[in-house]
Amino acid sequence: MSEVQRKKYSDQEKNRIFDGEFMPHIDSMYNFGYRLTFDEDDAKDLVQDTYLKAYRFINSFEQGTNAKAWLFRILKNSFINDYRKKSKQPAKVDYQEVETYYNSDDVDYGITSDLRVDSLKDMLGDEISNALNSLAVDFRTVIILCDLEGFTYEEMAKILDIPIGTVRSRLHRARNLLKEKLRSYAQNMGYKTDEEE
Amino acid sequence: MENNLEGTGERKLQCDDVSKCFQLLESILDGNESADSQEVLKSKLAKCQPCFEHYHLEQAIKEVLRTKCTKHEVPSQLVENIRQKIEEIK
Repeated sequence: MSEVQRKKYSDQEKNRIFDGEFMPHIDSMYNFGYRLTFDEDDAKDLVQDTYLKAYRFINSFEQGTNAKAWLFRILKNSFINDYRKKSKQPAKVDYQEVETYYNSDDVDYGITSDLRVDSLKDMLGDEISNALNSLAVDFRTVIILCDLEGFTYEEMAKILDIPIGTVRSRLHRARNLLKEKLRSYAQNMGYKTDEEE
Repeated sequence: MENNLEGTGERKLQCDDVSKCFQLLESILDGNESADSQEVLKSKLAKCQPCFEHYHLEQAIKEVLRTKCTKHEVPSQLVENIRQKIEEIK
């Protein structure tokens, strides 16, 4: 609707938007790419592709809207459409399967975790990162977007093309899985958990 | 005990609606609820032990994720490469 009505940006405006609104997010973009692929070259390719697409389609970016969310959406789509196909690596968890299973309301809110706040605070960055990285990509993604990048549920819904209700339930599920990972790290590393008491 | 919950700071040990409460608590923690939800939060945490524990654990996890997760430095050539490619398609 607004895309049809909006006038095209001049070359000068394009450069201003690109430098002023897109480039400042390169750090977050690269880290998002890295956390999706675990590979420096793949992350570089993803980010480069994303910025080229962003420039090519800059007329569909509305000034004043969230540039970071717009860029993240492009990167996520590039990852799903290009990277996953190219690498021929099936995702650990089938996307559709995740949707069908976890979109239902039967998220288990009853899971109790005996992970303790104290032991969390003692953990090293590598342990936290490893726990996050061990989650299937769809769960990892919602935690990255919410907890590391601070997107709102509404922004996440747009980035991921899913309803807000799905954002909420997938995030909750992802957090439960992360807690389980952190709990086993805590036990292995000899941090205290309630189980041992 | 029920009558003195607020006065003594004692919390009930079972949550009446874990599903609804935990989802709301996470939403508040993630900054997705309006400002008046802080009152709801305060009263929930004062009255319910499972809610209290869930909230504080989630808060701590969120904090360590934000502060401790390994950050990777953007490779030095990346910005230059992007600018070059953009010049090519201009």
